[in-house]
Amino acid sequence: MARILVACLCALPLAVLAALSFAGAWPFPDVVPSRWTASRWLEVLAGRGGLAASFGVSILISASVALLSTVLGFVTSKHVAYHRRRRLLLFLAYVPFALSPVILGVCLLYVAIQAGLSGSVAGVILAQTIFAYGFAIVLFQGLWSPRMRAFEELVHTLGGSTWQLYARVLVPLAKEMLLLCFFQTFLISWFQYGLTVLVGGGQVKTLTLKVYDYVGEANVFYAALASCLLIVPPALLLWANKRFLFKAV
Amino acid sequence: MRSRSGTLGLAAFLAVAVLPIGASLLYALLYSVGLAGLLAEGFNGRHWLAVLGSGEIWSSLALSVWVAAGVVAAGTALGLALALGFRGTLDRGALGMALYLPLALPGAVAAFFVFQMLTGGGFVARVLLRLGLLSDPSRFLPLVQDRWAVGIILAHTLLATPFLALLFARLYESERVEELAALSRALGASRRQSLWRVEVPILLHAAGTNLALLFIVVLGSYEIPLLLGRQAPQMLSVLTMRKFALFDLRQKPDAFVVALLYTGLVMALIAGIFRREKAA
Repeated sequence: MARILVACLCALPLAVLAALSFAGAWPFPDVVPSRWTASRWLEVLAGRGGLAASFGVSILISASVALLSTVLGFVTSKHVAYHRRRRLLLFLAYVPFALSPVILGVCLLYVAIQAGLSGSVAGVILAQTIFAYGFAIVLFQGLWSPRMRAFEELVHTLGGSTWQLYARVLVPLAKEMLLLCFFQTFLISWFQYGLTVLVGGGQVKTLTLKVYDYVGEANVFYAALASCLLIVPPALLLWANKRFLFKAV
Repeated sequence: MRSRSGTLGLAAFLAVAVLPIGASLLYALLYSVGLAGLLAEGFNGRHWLAVLGSGEIWSSLALSVWVAAGVVAAGTALGLALALGFRGTLDRGALGMALYLPLALPGAVAAFFVFQMLTGGGFVARVLLRLGLLSDPSRFLPLVQDRWAVGIILAHTLLATPFLALLFARLYESERVEELAALSRALGASRRQSLWRVEVPILLHAAGTNLALLFIVVLGSYEIPLLLGRQAPQMLSVLTMRKFALFDLRQKPDAFVVALLYTGLVMALIAGIFRREKAA
């Protein structure tokens, strides 16, 4: 009984938001909508309106951030892990990851403007990559053990090139962690709001921004629809990611 | 060859993780002391003194710490209750799947959901009216934009609890808590003593770094207090953004002062985490 109750409580946000997104009218004090409609969902599925475009932009930004920070984090975290000043470097990696994205954004905006990247998708991707890259560095620290180093030395002793080391040894050994990092950094980017507002200058309309736009317009039905679209990819990723998620603990 | 790749790797790390942050913080510092920006008036500490001397920053800091501590306390209590209540079976069956749903909620969505639930015309008020537990809708006490930031704490707790429950459940296995609890009972401890003196302390100690990181994340949160918080006092990120986005350019140095104070606080907390881990 307690298990069912907790499961229902966990599913409540999705149930309420889904009901709101399908509601034609939900006047006070009704507990369920008085009329249902699928028109908003059909509009999104047909690619009409701003939400479908925002979904596409959000996917593009998050996938790019995840790919960039995973590849860069994987290659460079090794040098952080083996460095004699490892603790200092790791502390520096924690800073962007632990700072508030809004405060990071306020400070980064000047750099983005100077680089001509403010208000562009590329600027948002780069700003979010700085944020997600710190996480990737911290995550990959668990990978670079003495055992991995022994493998590397063995490959070099046997005459293997750096390319062969990565392609034949390190990437296959780190496959699970690479996937985990990709998923997690995708989610970090997918959940972003403050950094996107600041560096995107309000012109890069991701789904998170759309939620606030609709809330500001008191358009709760569309805000709920945008929320549902925001939940689906992370729910699928987290579920697929389930077996890796707490493995590092 | 290998040392060259090491240098390149380290250079890439510094270029991506350190240089932009360092340059941004330096710019923020110069702006805050009147050495950069459109209205640069020459070196002075006027904005630092104004911000530190105003009650706004301290009430904002107090609110942020209150919310972060409240979320860590509530999330830990609920997470422990779930992990210890459903010992070993937490991530199985329908519950195992449902627990991952709140983890998929972005802060913006959690804030919107709590807003829809807890306002005067929200879902909770409607259910209470239907059940006859509320006679007049105007008597419903809205828990959003409230004095004690209950709505903000609830939204963050909604996001944090499943994560902490799964974390504690995993630590319960990895730290061999069950065996240690059995040992304590074999040595004469009661069920209650075993729980409070063995199981809970071990789990809290093992999860210390994660709890500290949760505190830091909530301390700097923006989306949730933006929707569920009051106009004054505001949490640190909301205050910074408000001062930064104002048309009055004279407020911008104040925004940078708040941002730098927050950055200093977070860096001190991370340094504390590092010291704790080194000592462990």
